[in-house]
Amino acid sequence: MKDCCSHKERKKNQFIGNKINIALAGNPNVGKSVIFNQLTGLSQTIGNWPGKTVEKMEGHLNFLGHNINIVDLPGIYSLSAYSLEEIVSREYIASDEVDLIINVIDATNLERNLFFTFQLLELKIPIVIAVNQMDILRKRNKDINFEMFEQIFKVPVIPVVAVHGVGVYQLLEEAIELIYEHKFNPHKKEHRKKRRTHHHHFKIKHMYPKLELNTSSRELFQFPDLSPLLSFGKEVEEKIQLLEDNIEQNIGDTEKYHYPSRFIALKLLENDREIEKLISKDIHNSEIIKTSKDYRKNLEEYHGEEISTIISSEIYQNINKIIDSILIIDTRKETKKQSITDIIDHLTTHSILGYVILALVLIGIYYFTFIIGDFLGGLVDQLYTYLSTDIDTSTVAGKILWEGAVGGFFGAVGGVLVYVIPFFLLIEILQDSGYLPRAAFLLDKFMHVLGVHGKTIITMILGFGCNVPACAGCRIMETEREKKISIALTSLIPCAATMVVVMGLVGEYLGIGFVGLLFLINFIVIIFVGRILNKTMPGECTELIMEMHEYRKPNTRVIIKQTWVRTREFVFRSLPIIILIGILLEVMYIFSVLESVNIILTPITVFCLGLPAVTGIFLIYGILRKELTFALLEVLAVSIGVGSVSLLLSPIQMFVFSLVTMLYIPCFATIIIIAKQTNWKYALQISLLEITIAIIIGSIVNWGYFLIVNF
Amino acid sequence: MDIQNRKSILNKERGSSLIKCLGECEIGDELEVIKVDAGGTATQRLATLGIVPGVKIIKSKSAPFNGPVEIIVKGTKIVLGRGLVAKIIVSCNNICMG
Repeated sequence: MKDCCSHKERKKNQFIGNKINIALAGNPNVGKSVIFNQLTGLSQTIGNWPGKTVEKMEGHLNFLGHNINIVDLPGIYSLSAYSLEEIVSREYIASDEVDLIINVIDATNLERNLFFTFQLLELKIPIVIAVNQMDILRKRNKDINFEMFEQIFKVPVIPVVAVHGVGVYQLLEEAIELIYEHKFNPHKKEHRKKRRTHHHHFKIKHMYPKLELNTSSRELFQFPDLSPLLSFGKEVEEKIQLLEDNIEQNIGDTEKYHYPSRFIALKLLENDREIEKLISKDIHNSEIIKTSKDYRKNLEEYHGEEISTIISSEIYQNINKIIDSILIIDTRKETKKQSITDIIDHLTTHSILGYVILALVLIGIYYFTFIIGDFLGGLVDQLYTYLSTDIDTSTVAGKILWEGAVGGFFGAVGGVLVYVIPFFLLIEILQDSGYLPRAAFLLDKFMHVLGVHGKTIITMILGFGCNVPACAGCRIMETEREKKISIALTSLIPCAATMVVVMGLVGEYLGIGFVGLLFLINFIVIIFVGRILNKTMPGECTELIMEMHEYRKPNTRVIIKQTWVRTREFVFRSLPIIILIGILLEVMYIFSVLESVNIILTPITVFCLGLPAVTGIFLIYGILRKELTFALLEVLAVSIGVGSVSLLLSPIQMFVFSLVTMLYIPCFATIIIIAKQTNWKYALQISLLEITIAIIIGSIVNWGYFLIVNF
Repeated sequence: MDIQNRKSILNKERGSSLIKCLGECEIGDELEVIKVDAGGTATQRLATLGIVPGVKIIKSKSAPFNGPVEIIVKGTKIVLGRGLVAKIIVSCNNICMG
């Protein structure tokens, strides 16, 4: 708690230095991250599945002389305490750190999005509503009456087409205006309307002087009276007001809790545990909590429903009342033609074809990566051979530099990057299209066998790209138990780096059939681990509740940018290590230091797994980054002059080596993420479990092969 | 048949509409939620998404092997696991009409 306070104070000081803090909030998948990227020029991950923004991301920009700090929050459906994300987002929005919220809503799904807006309005924080995907709405022959919208909600409402950047700067302009004037001024509507028509080349009419405030702008802000809009039915409203009066009498100013008294009353009535915990910290407040319990019981008996149902129903009723006046539907043009996305949706969730497509998609990703990577790899090899012909490697220094550094570099590019780039590209297309929730739909039932629901499939498929963000994505799981199992299963998925090893060794020298066999073994291990965790962890599986977003055409610019970002990360983390270790290995090889490290590992590497002793050190480096196991093998092959890895390892050794690399441990970055998501104990347990499994299965394959061949 | 007559017949049919759980309904059925009995947090979660008594939904898809069900509520598609589907009671009007 203490940490949090000092953090807050620091933030406040920053505000004196002219910093405006804006948070982007809204339902999942409405385009918050797209707006964030447009404004900050950063590259927050964008995807078409719920929950991909797992942690809030911050960015800065300078707009008309103001320093603006923007935070992209995870998408949530309400401000209740249902999931961790909701609690975290709510606390963050309510804290002093936020001066204004930009509530991003999806124009094509006003009802459900406004449900969240209604809750945000209860927090009485300066707010600007961004209505995104206006282009899609208009394509459906619908439109929104923005004048009416602003009249009803009494806050600025801006039409936005985030992917094309339309309206995003106007959001900031409105935000600054709102913060500067401390209230929303609907009289300026005319002036705003005029501006709106020119939003493509908007110009600000007047500039505000820099904010010179020594207090949060929120305290000066006069929130409009929204009681006609937000009030509930007679019974509920009566109870909320009584409770609110009670709170005001007993607590007085609720500023210390950061929530308005009405919000606290509403949440106490709703049986919100977090708010209850907050209020009951003060022993004098026990009376309030008792009263709220009585009221709740009262209402539940009166309506014959659970309180959450009563309150949600009433909010939705209020929304229904206003939606007719906001939404304009051109019924003359309305067509009920089945669109291409409907057909794709139908096929990919079909009870037979759906599974065929799923298998083809997964196999296809690997197949194309292999084809493209193989072709590009050949070109890089030729280039290296061509360059090497004129180099003098007879001196020790020349040998270390050329074969260690340059050879290491070409090994990395030729053996690693050529696979990684097309692979990331395909994964990005897959996640941007909206296919992943369909896979979750098809495999939900199967995943229950492993103790989790279908959403885990999303993180597992993303794990094929990189385990690190995929394990972080396991936050979308609702309970601690499911999060832990999901993380364990996801960390067992062979990632792009592992794929490099498998493709480079087994794919290259033994053929694609053996790659399939490796995957089969990996798949069986995943089921095995899932079954064990499901049996041993207390608690049971929760049910899937997931929004199925429409398919959309992947945005080429987004795809290319994200692939570039991921590849850049991969290169900057990996290449220096590969080159450095390449040089180090060369030195160690010349001075024969490698031997002693390898000798210690001999019982495992040589006896159990039947590998050459030299692989011991590679497997250790592989914990850092898995592709190192293969990249270093190539470097070694070049530096000791055998040229090809196939002369270092026999076919069975290649198979076992790849298998062990696939299974033996999550990479270092993944272990850290697992520890962050759960705890270090669990991260180490998983690592140990995987090492054990890898050694056991590796030994079985090695000795099994040995016995079959010899007897 | 005059309009008045047809209306009364429709009303009668409405009165006799079948009450069953969401899992038993056919794909494409237009349904009205009668009761959500899924326990605390799940009921709350469903309410947030607009799945409350009185709301009209369409059962749009059902995954094989007794898998999850997709419904359309307020214009959005929501997938619900089998366990939840059994706890949502709906009234099915168009069985009688068809």
